[in-house]
Amino acid sequence: MDVVRLDRVGKTYAGAEVSLRGTKLEWKGPALWARNAVRGLRLTSVNVPPVRALHDVSFALAPGEIFGLVGPNGSGKTTLIKLIAGLIRPTTGSGMVAGVPLTHPAAIRRSVSYVSTTGWMGLEWPLTAEENVRFFAALCGMDGALAGARAAEALRAVGLWEDRDKYPSQLSNGMRQRVILARALLFHTPLVLLDEPTVGLDPANARAVIDLIRGPLRERGQTIVLSDHQSAEIERVADRIAVLRAGELARLGTPGALRAELADVMVIEAHTEEMDPPRAPAPAVVLATEYVDRPGALGLRAWRVHTWKSPDALQQVLDWLTQPTGRVVRLAEHAPSLRDVLTLPPEVIAARRAGAAASALAGSAPPEGAAVEGAAVEEAAS
Amino acid sequence: MTTAPPPATRRDSTAEPVAPAAGRLSWWRQAAALWAFGLREYRIWQSYRANQALWIANLLVTTLLFFLLGKTIGGQAAGLLGPAYGTNYMSFVVVGVTVNVFINTNLVDPYIRIQRSYFNGTMDLFLLSPMSIYTPLLGLMTKSILDDYPRLFFTFGFGMVFFGATFNFAPWPLALMFTALFLAAGFGLGMLSASSFYLLDIKKGTEPVQFVVQGILATLLAGTYYPITVLPRPLQWVACLIPHTYAFDALRRLLDPGARADAPVLPVQFALHGLSPVAVDGLALLVFTVVLLPLGVVAYGRGIERARRNGTLTRWQ
Repeated sequence: MDVVRLDRVGKTYAGAEVSLRGTKLEWKGPALWARNAVRGLRLTSVNVPPVRALHDVSFALAPGEIFGLVGPNGSGKTTLIKLIAGLIRPTTGSGMVAGVPLTHPAAIRRSVSYVSTTGWMGLEWPLTAEENVRFFAALCGMDGALAGARAAEALRAVGLWEDRDKYPSQLSNGMRQRVILARALLFHTPLVLLDEPTVGLDPANARAVIDLIRGPLRERGQTIVLSDHQSAEIERVADRIAVLRAGELARLGTPGALRAELADVMVIEAHTEEMDPPRAPAPAVVLATEYVDRPGALGLRAWRVHTWKSPDALQQVLDWLTQPTGRVVRLAEHAPSLRDVLTLPPEVIAARRAGAAASALAGSAPPEGAAVEGAAVEEAAS
Repeated sequence: MTTAPPPATRRDSTAEPVAPAAGRLSWWRQAAALWAFGLREYRIWQSYRANQALWIANLLVTTLLFFLLGKTIGGQAAGLLGPAYGTNYMSFVVVGVTVNVFINTNLVDPYIRIQRSYFNGTMDLFLLSPMSIYTPLLGLMTKSILDDYPRLFFTFGFGMVFFGATFNFAPWPLALMFTALFLAAGFGLGMLSASSFYLLDIKKGTEPVQFVVQGILATLLAGTYYPITVLPRPLQWVACLIPHTYAFDALRRLLDPGARADAPVLPVQFALHGLSPVAVDGLALLVFTVVLLPLGVVAYGRGIERARRNGTLTRWQ
């Protein structure tokens, strides 16, 4: 039996009004109560367009599967995870979680461990790491002796046993996230939902968290749904990956199958110094480009250029990037990763493959997270 | 788009029976969860030692304030309090202050606790556990119960030891019953107040139920610090719309020495002159409890369900 089965599930949020806080028009006190009461009674509605967070999402998860959810911010990952956890009701579609329909969230809660690292992460700040884990065990009805043993086991598994008496304020972000993961280890539920467990972590800590998922969690045979916008982390651990884009399931498959979609694409990375973006149009071999400004003096840029596989692609890109001033200080060529699958929307690839590259690029919006034909992706240097 | 999942062949399916999945939490598990909340809140409460000292000092000052007011009133107390509530203003006001603290906890606290939990992200945690949706609400209130309920002993103690309040504790079982009814009705109002967080989307600022009931009606009209006979007759009728008024009346009649059980004060008691005033109070509190408690339970449940539908159950989406 599938642990999760979703059938054309969608979620639409009511539109959020523009805040009037601090203005003379701000709704306050009795005016706010009256307005919200009228809306609660559905006498009026919010005059703001609704937000479609998820649309027509269908998939099934087998027992023991590790399922990755990737997509840019706002693509619907958290909504989908909360919907599976029973915290949100779908607007359309249907589904089952551990044999329980989505319409019975109370029953779903008993089959799901959910870890969210967003917000304040649900940690009780006046309690130590161990007390936090044991408190959650008590809330879930685990008796004291078992809770103590399981908490110790979970804290050892996440490498926090030595720090068990520290308060969250004394722990680093990575350690706090491991406390939250320890809570997920307490119960051997059929389904574990991990919402961005590596967000905000340095590479070493992110790797430790992924190892934890690959190790103790996978050993138990639990089905794991893991979301992240860092595709590299998920690629290391997931059996299958779903790519969400604007609330829709854009791709679904094993990491290998997704990468295979870009079998005729190669990635060229270049670091340039004191060099402006090229003014000439990109050569035909180039599918998409993006660059970020590297820390340091102006003009230090890291380029990522997607091209068709071609013996002279590297030379063409080098010629295109090179300016009268500045220099290329690093040049590398490699096979596409999952990150590139996310960067290149299927429609761009398809259009290019059909030989309609120019018209497709002119008529379609640039891919999210990437810039087509040399436009810059400005990011804070970090 | 649906694709068949790959066969799961690599791992052992050794997942043992799951505590949360074992079925709906039994009442003793819910009680254990409440106990865990209590322990947590006690840990927090006892870690603020200076706060405890200030808490007691605050009680002393409050009681002293009313002692001085009582001195100002002097010999006029008997005339002011009338035949129903005896002649000791300190006894009168100690009951008022104590009951007010109780009701404030039950009425005001649910909304505040839900609000804090929502904004600091622990609501996710509670609503994902297999507890009833009402258990966290009660659990979160243990902090205030720990903080506020013991004030009963301190307020009575200060009043009696330092400021000359006297009480008749003989009818304590009846007083306890009235208190229980009053607290239940107050908790019903508290759940109504908490439900406005989700039902009316009152996430910040003033909450309407507590503002109207506790902030205006109870403070001005219920008779915490003065008998409601000083109010114009129409306002006395308005005072009869909240449970506070009946609780103050009944407990004063029962506990204040010299108070009389047969002299009507409230308009409703005059209207129902066939019944004794204390019976009217009891009946009114029973009606408030029977109406407000289920109403609060339903409203809170509806609020949670509405938020689940709208996707606003938790702060961090």
